[in-house]
Amino acid sequence: MICTGCGCLCDDLDLTVAEGQLLEVANVCLWGLSRFFPCKRSHPRKERRRILKPLARLNGRPREVSYETALEQAAEILGAARRPLLYGLTNTGSRAQEAALHLARKLRARLEPADLAFTAPYYHSLRKHGLYWAPLEVIRDEADTVLFWGANPLHSCPRHPVRYSVFARGRFTERGVEDRRVAAVDLYRTEVAKFCHLFVQVEPGRELQLLSGIREHLEGAPGPGPAVKGTRKLAGFLSQGDFGVIFFGRGATYNQGFALLDELAGLAARLGEERPFVLFPLSADFNAAGLYQLLFNELGSPEAPDFGHESGLLTTYATADWGEFDAVLVVGADPWWFLPEEQALALQARRVPVVSLSPYANRTTASARVVFPTALAGLEAAEVAYRMDGLPVVLKQVLPAAWPTDREILLDLAKAI
Amino acid sequence: MATPDELLEFLPGSDCGQCGLTCAEFAAALSRGDLAPEDCPVLHEPDFAGFIDALHELLGPPAAPAPAMHLDPDRCNGCGICVAMCEYHLGNCDEARLGRGPRPADRVVFKVVNGAVVVLRQDLCTRLIQAAEKCNKCADHCPTGAITLT
Repeated sequence: MICTGCGCLCDDLDLTVAEGQLLEVANVCLWGLSRFFPCKRSHPRKERRRILKPLARLNGRPREVSYETALEQAAEILGAARRPLLYGLTNTGSRAQEAALHLARKLRARLEPADLAFTAPYYHSLRKHGLYWAPLEVIRDEADTVLFWGANPLHSCPRHPVRYSVFARGRFTERGVEDRRVAAVDLYRTEVAKFCHLFVQVEPGRELQLLSGIREHLEGAPGPGPAVKGTRKLAGFLSQGDFGVIFFGRGATYNQGFALLDELAGLAARLGEERPFVLFPLSADFNAAGLYQLLFNELGSPEAPDFGHESGLLTTYATADWGEFDAVLVVGADPWWFLPEEQALALQARRVPVVSLSPYANRTTASARVVFPTALAGLEAAEVAYRMDGLPVVLKQVLPAAWPTDREILLDLAKAI
Repeated sequence: MATPDELLEFLPGSDCGQCGLTCAEFAAALSRGDLAPEDCPVLHEPDFAGFIDALHELLGPPAAPAPAMHLDPDRCNGCGICVAMCEYHLGNCDEARLGRGPRPADRVVFKVVNGAVVVLRQDLCTRLIQAAEKCNKCADHCPTGAITLT
């Protein structure tokens, strides 16, 4: 059984099911548990409420309606919009993503992946530097130098260190962590420090200086000014080993994302001249890789497509300004969770209608005008997902579903508009 | 568990004192678990063949060892590092050795269930079966400090 908790897509889960009820899941981490039981991520005792019936707002209050009525209202909202936004899709299956792209084309909408701010700097720098790439199994078998930059895998994908990056025993890393050297760079000391041989705590805003200092040390010409603490040690760490990998997380893209990823990619490219060196985004959403794979295949670029542009199609790495849209369709994401409050209030003040597809109640469904309950991909619906390194994995249906899948709803919406 | 009187039936009853006790005192010590049947020198003589096995049968299996591993479910995030690092799993569970989760039929000390580690067979723990007090691999590598060994 495959876990859809994060981009690792762990394939060694054992489910205990009795009379259509899920009783127990073995080998699942706390993060993935929320995909199987109605609880919050990493908080198993905090329950989440399942949405049982489609909801539509009547006189400002959400009311249970039939699927057909909800479909009619959603089609009316999206069909009448002059500038619609289709947001999310990183936490839904590839078949649903295909249907979403088809709908975005039909609506002449802007399609924005939920983690665009995280992956856009990476793809931008990838295009510029052209980097070495390796699947997770090759990293497990060969990587002896592992650096986490702004990433805490124990929170974003807890089993990643044990399955692929740190403790896993592979073909040429038979002793696991003893055959690897592990380092981390972060603004705060995290749990990762427990198993790192080197942990560098860098002050906010000094990451670029740290990276350029490492480059200078590697070139053998350190600058005259005072270096950021840890520069020399990190340069020494990275210059050794036969196969290296830098895993970066969201911490690397919060501020100065494009500049920092450009420097990180430049460093990986420089190190890659001597030995294989991979720069790898640690994606927490289970099918983010699938969405970018689809955009690559269909549009030739991992950038966010805008089908409403006067040229017919504009692709961009820039995140959208929510102020320009007059209708929003959210699939496989909860943008209201991290949207700045003033933006959320501005959307509310402009009465921008939101249509949300979600199995559970969340902040977005609370603000939505129409809500469709959906089946969980990989548990209640068969789907396809791409692991964080681009490996396609078939997800099976295990439990009977009382709700339609994301794909079915998106296709019905496309028909109804 | 047999009473001291029942155990006394399978002792020599001669109160020879070679063990430093009378046979009744030896029976009481056996029932408390302070001594083993093998500690009686007379029972090793050919005349008493089979008496040691009979006493073992009466005493039943040895009591389970006192818990030596404490897991804090509130701290555990189910990363499975302890399962992969366990010394017993290293030699006896291929799946865990490779970083994957153990299969249901595998004999393992612990595994991750519903997002937290649960102990299944503490008697397999290397610390107990080999008295290797120095094996702290699971606790040493736990990033959240969820495991305490005593």
